[in-house]
Amino acid sequence: MTKKKKFELVESFIVENRESHYRLAYSYVRNKENALDIVQDAILKALKSIDRLEEIAYLKTWFYRILINTAIDFIRKHQRVTVMDNDILVLHLPGLEDNLTDIDLQKAIDQLPPQYKSIIILRFFEDMKIDEIADIMGLNINTVKTRLYKALKKLRMEVGKEFKL
Amino acid sequence: MKRLNKLKENHEKIEIPAELEDIVKQSIQQGKKAQKKHGYVKQWPIGTVAAAAVFIGSVNVSPNFAQAMANVPVLGSIVEVFTVQQWTNDKDNFQADVATPAIDGLADEELQASLNEKYVAESETKYAAFEKEMAALKAEGGGHFSLDSNYKVLVDTEQLFTLARYDVEIQASGYETVRYDTIDKVNGLLLSLPALFKDDKYIDTINTYLLGEMERQMAEDSSKSFFLDKDIPEAAFQSINPEQDFYITEDHKLVLSFDEYEIAPGYMGVVTFEIPTEVIKDSLVSDTYVN
Repeated sequence: MTKKKKFELVESFIVENRESHYRLAYSYVRNKENALDIVQDAILKALKSIDRLEEIAYLKTWFYRILINTAIDFIRKHQRVTVMDNDILVLHLPGLEDNLTDIDLQKAIDQLPPQYKSIIILRFFEDMKIDEIADIMGLNINTVKTRLYKALKKLRMEVGKEFKL
Repeated sequence: MKRLNKLKENHEKIEIPAELEDIVKQSIQQGKKAQKKHGYVKQWPIGTVAAAAVFIGSVNVSPNFAQAMANVPVLGSIVEVFTVQQWTNDKDNFQADVATPAIDGLADEELQASLNEKYVAESETKYAAFEKEMAALKAEGGGHFSLDSNYKVLVDTEQLFTLARYDVEIQASGYETVRYDTIDKVNGLLLSLPALFKDDKYIDTINTYLLGEMERQMAEDSSKSFFLDKDIPEAAFQSINPEQDFYITEDHKLVLSFDEYEIAPGYMGVVTFEIPTEVIKDSLVSDTYVN
């Protein structure tokens, strides 16, 4: 494959899947501006390191890895301040009792350490298989399984007994 | 699963901002330009990225400690702690700061030498593990890892001396552990938890106390949380380790220490419990250390 062809493939993948990428970034930071920053940053990093993508078959894995690392990087750099979108802030305010349990679960997911959170998001929100997640996160399959199990356990711990899988 | 599905629906409902498309396209253009400018520079294979520089610092004495020493009466031996080795590494996303303590002035030189050897070995293991992790992460194309390993004199009375060694590993999330060595300076003894008690009944006594105390603290302060969920028995607190990390405070109270995640969710960090002496006084060998 020529370099030009490869670049085109990467380019169309990024454009076509931009909404998934944005949602993934958003689920880490829960804020529009920051999610957009992360997407932008990930694209620049990906294009810069396009030579490291040796086989186009790994395109998805490769890009998600960059995206997740960029998101985690962002959280690390901005750990102290998390800006919340207004509508989310409203959700956290009292007066919305019936939504509470789902918000609690969402909150519990948000509070998971990033390596657990990534696995929950990829497995349940992005419908990825364990082995795909293992590739993206650079972990072996058993580690992913263990972490997934632990993450679910943590969620039950935080949200309470009524949370059944 | 139902509730996760509900969240998945919410996830799919995350609103896509109108500007996303433009931002994505602009970024691609920007990436293209950057590439033309630099041409296709052949990247070095990741494995050959230059090894991180390691600086071995010289011995430095902690000024705080020197000051603290001025207040120690001559009854017990004067024990000094200083840093024999300091490894620092700060390269891209990898940071390490490993300080190795050494004790000086213990009357029992054999005990002192064995402790100091242990500290050096501990640091070497930690630093080797750090380098291994760093190499593994680099081979995967990047990542973050930081290790901060330090020590502190926790207690220094006429009789007792406790050196605590803290490790904080940060890799996406943090992980903190603390190890303590409590020394009887007068008798040249390294204290262990079982040695404080007549028999192993103390384990049950302390377990019962801790379970009650954890529940009490959780009821009193909703921000606290411990692993007590009976639905997940394999994660719930079962028992202290017979050799659980501990130290003894200046006013002779026993404190047990649990590493991050050991008995509580990560946000609780390292958790310590001061055990009221009346709870354990019947099991104690003597009231010399704990009373």
